[in-house]
Amino acid sequence: MMLIRRFEEALARRPDHGFQLLSSGEEAVAVGLCSALTAEDELLTGGRSIGPALARGVDPGRLMAELLGRSTGTNSGKGGRGHLADRTSGFFGAHAVVGGNISIAAGVALAHQTRSEPGVVVVLFGDGAFGAGALHETLNIAATWRLPMLFACNNNQLSVSTARDVVLAPRPLSSLALAYGMPSHTVDGMTLDTVTAAAQEALDGIRAGGGPAFLEFESLRFASHSTNARETRPAAALAVIRARCPIQQFATALTDQGVLDADARAQLEHEVDARVAAAVAFADASPFPTPDEALTDVW
Amino acid sequence: MIYKITIPEVAPDVEEIRVLEWHGGPGQWFAEGELIVELETHKALVEVRAGQGGVLRQILAEAGDWARIGVPLAVFSDTDDEALPASPGDGADLMVEFVID
Amino acid sequence: MSGEAKATTERMFFRQAIRRAVAEEMRRNPAVILLGQDVGAFGGSYREFDGLLAEFGAARVRDTPVAEAAMVGIGAGAAAAGLRPLVSITYMDFLMLGLDPLVNYAAKLCYKTGGRMTAPVVIKTTAGAKGQGVAHSQCLEAWLMGIPGLKVVAPSTPADAYGLLKAALREKGPVVYVDHKRLFPTAGEAPLAESVSPIGVAEIRRHGRDVTIATHAYMTSIVLKAADDLAREGVSCEVIDLRSLAPLDVATISASVRRTGRLLTVEEGQATCGVGVEVAARVRESIGAISSARLGALAAPVSSNPVLEAACIPDAARVATAVRALCGRAVPDR
Repeated sequence: MMLIRRFEEALARRPDHGFQLLSSGEEAVAVGLCSALTAEDELLTGGRSIGPALARGVDPGRLMAELLGRSTGTNSGKGGRGHLADRTSGFFGAHAVVGGNISIAAGVALAHQTRSEPGVVVVLFGDGAFGAGALHETLNIAATWRLPMLFACNNNQLSVSTARDVVLAPRPLSSLALAYGMPSHTVDGMTLDTVTAAAQEALDGIRAGGGPAFLEFESLRFASHSTNARETRPAAALAVIRARCPIQQFATALTDQGVLDADARAQLEHEVDARVAAAVAFADASPFPTPDEALTDVW
Repeated sequence: MIYKITIPEVAPDVEEIRVLEWHGGPGQWFAEGELIVELETHKALVEVRAGQGGVLRQILAEAGDWARIGVPLAVFSDTDDEALPASPGDGADLMVEFVID
Repeated sequence: MSGEAKATTERMFFRQAIRRAVAEEMRRNPAVILLGQDVGAFGGSYREFDGLLAEFGAARVRDTPVAEAAMVGIGAGAAAAGLRPLVSITYMDFLMLGLDPLVNYAAKLCYKTGGRMTAPVVIKTTAGAKGQGVAHSQCLEAWLMGIPGLKVVAPSTPADAYGLLKAALREKGPVVYVDHKRLFPTAGEAPLAESVSPIGVAEIRRHGRDVTIATHAYMTSIVLKAADDLAREGVSCEVIDLRSLAPLDVATISASVRRTGRLLTVEEGQATCGVGVEVAARVRESIGAISSARLGALAAPVSSNPVLEAACIPDAARVATAVRALCGRAVPDR
């Protein structure tokens, strides 16, 4: 979680490669979910994918290189924000069309099912994707075919700037999946252990052949939609939101349990800062693609 | 009396058929309702059943042959000793029933 | 040895050519699966998938709900994960509902991952007017020609249906394979031996001197009919069946136009931003100024009313009229 936060903070200081889609505040969803995954599982996400990619184990240097447009990036600098992918890490990829990866994920799950391969396919999407028709179509088919798939909705309460209550009728969002006969729960997405436990339980059921499941993680986005989008929430509301920082919550819990002290935390922060600095250095030392690469890999 | 089997438009758009199997040969009597021949169209299998009794006298399109709509496929007669016409198209149309799969 | 030459082709209905291609590819490659509405026990809207469920089982031949966005998306995702899905979209008009995963995901995946991933999904769909009305008759293949990362093919014969579909199921990336509804009643010779038709190669269906007519799919037969009629007037038409719309075989078309000096493009879809516009522009880029004309549907929806449908789409008489105008010929007395 600390790595995600510091990585995104470093990236936010780099406007030289366009805007970025940050997930600060939502780290517990990414880390909790990914901690329940195995190497055989596949993760697909929406565009807000830095947290999930790092949590899945994608190399920070190649990730930073990709986000800064370098040819050493996970996608050779061609995907960029919103399209990160690294199959070797079990990160099948992000797709920046809102809701666009939901049916794709079902296809990946179908491939697993058809070839009797182990592993669950997880698609992480925001409440912004919840209103898309592709969700209903995919829930229906996934339930009918009993695909090994977890629908994970990271409900950060906002579709760009539009509040969830203004545009989405189901309450809670997870109630939608009940109509398809899926195990479905809404849990606090700001508490790491809660996310991990919910994900583990859902994945256990899917691995046991129970068919797809749905989880809604209620989270809070600390920043605006993107690094160049206006923040429309009042400062007082933002202060309340940021006070619920999942990293601080987890650190406090660990401290209370006697697992983490100030020195250990400082040491962790030092290590994280070093990894982020190394990632930025790797990216900065890497070349941009050459213009003739605009025509390579098209087909 | 001499009859012929021709294939009318058994289904919309059928231009051409393929003969799959004759259920009998020349000289065989077919009672009303008996399966004479199976055909294939671009969409379906078609059973041609006798709509009246008659003797199969001559097969004009063998199994595997293709025929366009309206071309005679076989000659029939009421009895097995009637003289066949010079042109197979000269007979009346045998009453048949088409059963489309 | 004596005796007659051994037959190298076999006559078959259009749907049988499709079925044979799919069955052969499914036998050859266990990664090939079939998804679509009514593709299972029903055997496809045109019975082009007859018997595939029985041979390959329900895991590889899957009926889907009416949900084109998910069908194409699932096909693209499964393709990205290593399968070779054939997704049957009943009519091309409904492909619009599945364009997002096709255009935004499948066609982009290879590029956006720097060549690390591809989505070799084949979308098989059916275009064209045949009494089904304004939202079930359209030829929208021109829309897809401008999507980098996507190939588009459209056969006009059972042999090409067979060969192109097999080629599509072996391609590295996504392919849209378009049948025309009026091709299903037709039959034709297809090779007995297993074969594949390369994508990107046009076929000269009739050689001629005076004008090159570039067309595709069902319009090929309409153009050939017009060419017969025009031959009796002394006009010699070279007829090119494009077969592949993306990529276009510009070399074959250009070489022909270089010989004839004139190009007419004929399509059943809209002329505006149509296949013909692209063909003519590419030929000009290749060989310079040419004399050309285009023929497509009227700029109107295609009605299910037979009178209005016939009025809307090109027929042999209109093709002949366009050729005469292009060649500076008077309309012959009747």
